[in-house]
Amino acid sequence: MSAIHLKSLVKRFGPFTALKTMDMEIADGEFMALLGPSGCGKSTTMNMIAGMEAPTEGRILFGDRDVTQVPMGQRGVGFVFQNYAIFTHMSVRQNLDYGLRMKGVDPGPKTAAMAELLGLTDLLDRPSAGLSVNILQRLAIGRSAIMEPAIFLLDEPLSNVDAAFRAVMRTELKALQRQFRQTMVYVTHDQLEAMTMADRIAVMDHGVLQQVGTPLEIYDRPANTFVASFIGSPAMNLIPGEIRGGAFTAPGVEIPGFAAADGPVTLGFRAEDAQVAASGEIQAPVYSMELLGDSSMATLQLGSKSFAAIKAAKDFKVEIGENLAVRAPARICHLFDAQTGQRLSGAKP
Amino acid sequence: MTRALLRTLAILAALAFTLVPILWMISMAFKPFAEWQASGADLTWWPKAPTLDNFRYLFGLGTNELISMLDRTAMKPILSSLLSASVGTLIAMTCGTAAAYGLSRFGSGQNLPLALIQLRLFPPMAVMIPVMMMWAFLGLMDTWFGLALVYGIVTLPFAFWLMKTFFDDMPREIEEAALVEGCTRWRVFTRVTLPMMAAPLAAAALFVFILNWSDYLIALLLTTREWVTIPVYMASLSSSMTGQLYGAKAALGLIAAVPPVVLGVLIQKHLVRGLTFGALKQ
Repeated sequence: MSAIHLKSLVKRFGPFTALKTMDMEIADGEFMALLGPSGCGKSTTMNMIAGMEAPTEGRILFGDRDVTQVPMGQRGVGFVFQNYAIFTHMSVRQNLDYGLRMKGVDPGPKTAAMAELLGLTDLLDRPSAGLSVNILQRLAIGRSAIMEPAIFLLDEPLSNVDAAFRAVMRTELKALQRQFRQTMVYVTHDQLEAMTMADRIAVMDHGVLQQVGTPLEIYDRPANTFVASFIGSPAMNLIPGEIRGGAFTAPGVEIPGFAAADGPVTLGFRAEDAQVAASGEIQAPVYSMELLGDSSMATLQLGSKSFAAIKAAKDFKVEIGENLAVRAPARICHLFDAQTGQRLSGAKP
Repeated sequence: MTRALLRTLAILAALAFTLVPILWMISMAFKPFAEWQASGADLTWWPKAPTLDNFRYLFGLGTNELISMLDRTAMKPILSSLLSASVGTLIAMTCGTAAAYGLSRFGSGQNLPLALIQLRLFPPMAVMIPVMMMWAFLGLMDTWFGLALVYGIVTLPFAFWLMKTFFDDMPREIEEAALVEGCTRWRVFTRVTLPMMAAPLAAAALFVFILNWSDYLIALLLTTREWVTIPVYMASLSSSMTGQLYGAKAALGLIAAVPPVVLGVLIQKHLVRGLTFGALKQ
């Protein structure tokens, strides 16, 4: 069991800066998701925690132990790769107990127990080469978990498995972590995985840590427009406009009740928070309608290039181009600085 | 229907083109003297009186009254070919694999790999005369190990480039996974990388072996008598009375075809996988 401290971590590849001064604390036994689009520096961060890459500047501590200079084999971390990295010339059993055998430990009943836990018992003596992607990913997780590492690192482990299996694995991974109580760091670009599994989420973009918080904090109080647009499905509506006398105005939008100072701002609200009504703060023509199954999604056109998605009942019917009124009071709205995109106070109470 | 017929005919023609010479050699190897000699009036497709005389003759176990006994049997050339080709292959594969792995994992830039391929840009013959002088000075002339050393050097670029492509295509995560679990670099290389590379290694080794096995020019220059290889020995199979000994040559050709064919069949499973390794990964 071990906490992870990242202190002023910087990683440069030649002239390219992959990670800009990252400070982060991951508590002992915590499930932390590193979330961001491709190239945001999340995998680089993970590789530095694992010891696969050395940081250009800064230090990494596991608990009190400074591991910045410790080679990866001696850090005692488990690592699950996106493409499983299964040793295809070995059987399932040989893959599972590989780490133990390398350490000169007799696997004993551990292999069977881990196989049981992951539902691999019937496959133990099969060669691993011809197995399905889903099984391979389970095997990769088992191979790392069997070492009972204090720190478990997973690099997009579910991005190659099929959608139905992904849901199963989300539940299993969470259960696995509850059972072993390791510190888990999980890299993903899928906000759904991060939201459902993580204790806390670290959202990253362009090598900069944007926000760290519980899934609810990130969802409810995004620190900036990037986090707001990255978290949630659909992304938060972001509407450029301005505050004048405590009211936000933009084409088709007039929302009173803000405490912010006058000037240009970006307004944000979530599709699921707004409601179609007889009259409301937003009045705009319908640009498109999508049926989602349990609900439908109306996209309104505000001005020439600005759109807003609104969730409606699944049997909601409206003609394209027809004007729609939407209730979007100030209490569901977020305000962001028009230039920096940073969250402004004076929006949600 | 006509299309299918044309197809079949085209395939048969292509097969005849490639297979008939080989069949001819096989048939010839089992013909008695009277049937294969150049002046023979009745050349036949199949031996009328199949015999192992040609093989006996090669190994000095019997002869025909018209051909004088060989002053040296095919035994030594076969041994010479086997030793020089396999040791040469071993040298090329060991050095090539090590170099390819090092440059694929830790190398930067293209200069060194390109320098290696430049060894192949000018024909081996261009350097063979100097090499011949060096070998004479070092006392390596007409020895199987002197020849093996040159084979190893000449085929090293092939081994290196084949293996480098394979290593480049192998996902690094597999090695990193083993490293994270506490393996040393050397152990990763021997226990994970090489076993996973079994197929490409086998394919590259066969390729290099065939190159060495079928060499004529280098062996002609670097061996004179004791350790001549099969191709050089084959060229000397003629007699003053009858000219070229086609029967014996065919028999020797058949023997020479054995190692590559046997190796090919043994590693056939790996061969297809090895030669398509890169393609399948992408």
